[in-house]
Amino acid sequence: MADVGTGLIAIGAGLAVGLAGLGSGMAEKDIGAAAVGAITEDLSLFGKAMIFVVLPETIVIFGLVVAILGIFVM
Amino acid sequence: MLLPESMSRIVIVGTKTHADETIEALYSVKYVHLIDHTVDADEGFSIGNSRPYASKVAERLLKVRAMEKELGIDKHTKTAPIPEKEIIEQISSDSVELVDEAVRKVVDERNDLNQRITELNATKKTLEIISELPIDVELYSGYKTIESVVGTVEEDPTSALTGFECEIFLAAGAKKGPRSVAVFMRKGDRDKVLEVLATVGFNEVLPPEMSGSATEALAAVDRDINTAQSGLEVVQKELEVLLEKHKAFLRAADEQLTIELDKGELPLRVASSGYAFVIDAWVPTTKVDYVKTEIERMVPGTYVELQETRGRSMEEEEAAEPRFKKAPTKFGNGKIVKEFEYVTRLVSAPKYQEIDPSILIAIFLPLFFGFMVGDVGYAIPFIILGAYGLKVAHNKDWRAIATVLFFGGIWAFIFGFFFFGECLGMHFVNSSHMIEGVEWSWQMLLGLDNLPDIFDGILPHGSGTGKLFHVGLLLKLSVYIGIVHLLIGYGCALYNKTIQHNFKHAFKEVGGWLLGFLGVVILCFGLAMLLIYSDSYSLNDVLPFLVIGAALIVAEIAMNIKHEGIQAVLELPGFIGNVLSYTRLAAIGMSKAGMALAFNYIAISMIGVGLGGIAGIVVGLLMFSFLHLMIWTLAILSAGLHGMRLQLVELMNKFYEGGGIEYKPLRIKRKQTIYTENTTKEV
Repeated sequence: MADVGTGLIAIGAGLAVGLAGLGSGMAEKDIGAAAVGAITEDLSLFGKAMIFVVLPETIVIFGLVVAILGIFVM
Repeated sequence: MLLPESMSRIVIVGTKTHADETIEALYSVKYVHLIDHTVDADEGFSIGNSRPYASKVAERLLKVRAMEKELGIDKHTKTAPIPEKEIIEQISSDSVELVDEAVRKVVDERNDLNQRITELNATKKTLEIISELPIDVELYSGYKTIESVVGTVEEDPTSALTGFECEIFLAAGAKKGPRSVAVFMRKGDRDKVLEVLATVGFNEVLPPEMSGSATEALAAVDRDINTAQSGLEVVQKELEVLLEKHKAFLRAADEQLTIELDKGELPLRVASSGYAFVIDAWVPTTKVDYVKTEIERMVPGTYVELQETRGRSMEEEEAAEPRFKKAPTKFGNGKIVKEFEYVTRLVSAPKYQEIDPSILIAIFLPLFFGFMVGDVGYAIPFIILGAYGLKVAHNKDWRAIATVLFFGGIWAFIFGFFFFGECLGMHFVNSSHMIEGVEWSWQMLLGLDNLPDIFDGILPHGSGTGKLFHVGLLLKLSVYIGIVHLLIGYGCALYNKTIQHNFKHAFKEVGGWLLGFLGVVILCFGLAMLLIYSDSYSLNDVLPFLVIGAALIVAEIAMNIKHEGIQAVLELPGFIGNVLSYTRLAAIGMSKAGMALAFNYIAISMIGVGLGGIAGIVVGLLMFSFLHLMIWTLAILSAGLHGMRLQLVELMNKFYEGGGIEYKPLRIKRKQTIYTENTTKEV
């Protein structure tokens, strides 16, 4: 059986991805709503709107990197 | 290829007597991007008048469009094209007016019938209410001392009307809900009765002026409605006949008249004086001679002169007159890269003075897509779907998607076969890192023991890179890909600024960021060695990296602090963010591999042990196909969107400004009419 330390690493990794995901979600929801509004007004804004919507996505990638480092490196 | 095509500005001068020939010539050379004349830009010139035939054309076009709307013809209606000569003859022999007359007659008839049906339906409703009461219609009015109200009530009004001298006829019905009522009262009491009735939800209807029983009248109205409806059906059929008969003509006439109207109103965009006109236009530099000789040959007395060939320097643009400032952007891409212009256009067309990122997107988007999918089993359907899409799709959006799927699929196949060694989430051959009893390989599944010999030496790590096992390697690889991708972005920025200004200016503007980026990358490389691989490296080993990195960062801050302020420091973590953003390449591959692992385990254990027998195999195979189809569909979304994001955000933010005007030459596009030579121009 795995020891307590491994379990803690797993919990930590889960928290890292989960909380970072929550963060990106909260950031993206406002931008997304505004972006959809802008696109309904003018479809040519789609590209720019998409860039803004996906910007906070990087946050969850940070979480993921931390989680992976936790699992595979520690 | 990298930059938009070089453009030259020409001026075309001619006499107004040759206006029509000139307009024809401009359209036939197909390279002239007109510059709109602005009022008072040149002394002695004003905006020209539209050609004399334009108003007639506009009137006819209006009729044609109205008919198309009435008959339900739109751009999706399929019709056979008509030769240009024929349609011009038809239009000039008043066909539009004749068809319009025929169509309008039937349409008017239809509208009349529709109105009649609406009216009859209203009468029917009234009669339905009245027919529930045992009183003939003519008995509601024509008295000296009494009058009546008819309608529906929600509740029984008897108790509410106790104080009045009146007689109430109430139709049988449920206690609640609307039912018919007629109240006869003394003349003069009407308003008071109505007031009371309002409390029980009274809704008045006016009895029609007729005699006899309402039921009989109702039957008569029903008959009338039926007659009108069958009349309407006949008219609809007539309209359908008209549609079939004239749709090809109308579509072709619409197109022909639109073209003629564009030509007829062209003088509104150019400068003209009493006898002459002057046209300013952009033409691709390589086509200037062709345009000059063609126009001068076609129109006698017209002179074409080259004004300037616009360079890429911003100084030239700033020095130009306002209406000549922006040269249009003509994408100079080949057949394949052209499909990726769609992604560039999502942001905006590139400026005349900057690199068109389409070619970079064409290289990296499919590559990233393939790396994220990295599985032979998903790659082949992508290639097939992409190839099919490219063959049948004409819509730009679908073509762009099909192109990404096709080339992305090819890369996915290459990565899946030679790097990951995977098909549908399972390695071809057994690997040392397989989880006993959970993970499967094709060798194990199909019992092919000669597979390892075939793949011997092809796959890295013996059985191919494990998406869930060699995570460190994949992460590092993604980061390196990111660094290269971003360096290309900075390179493009340097190039753009160099052609727009000069290298010194470019280095001042971009060089600082480039140094900072390199500094952060080198510093982080050293730190990672020290912190993550602390067993194999000591501080002395990594010291050079730390020093060089720190020095570059200091250089960046020193260069940028003057004009960027505190941003020069705040941007430093952004570099890390940019690079780490590319770890999504590994992460999305991992997430797909994880799903595939779980799904394969479920499906294979169903086939093997779960249910057993034929049922087990069938259900297992169904599950297997369905679950993999799900991963495959998700792959389009995640790999496609994330691949695109890395281009649009990480790469293009480094150098792309956009906001160019797209090159739109005067050119005739015919779909419904076929071009025929030597057509005479008259309407």
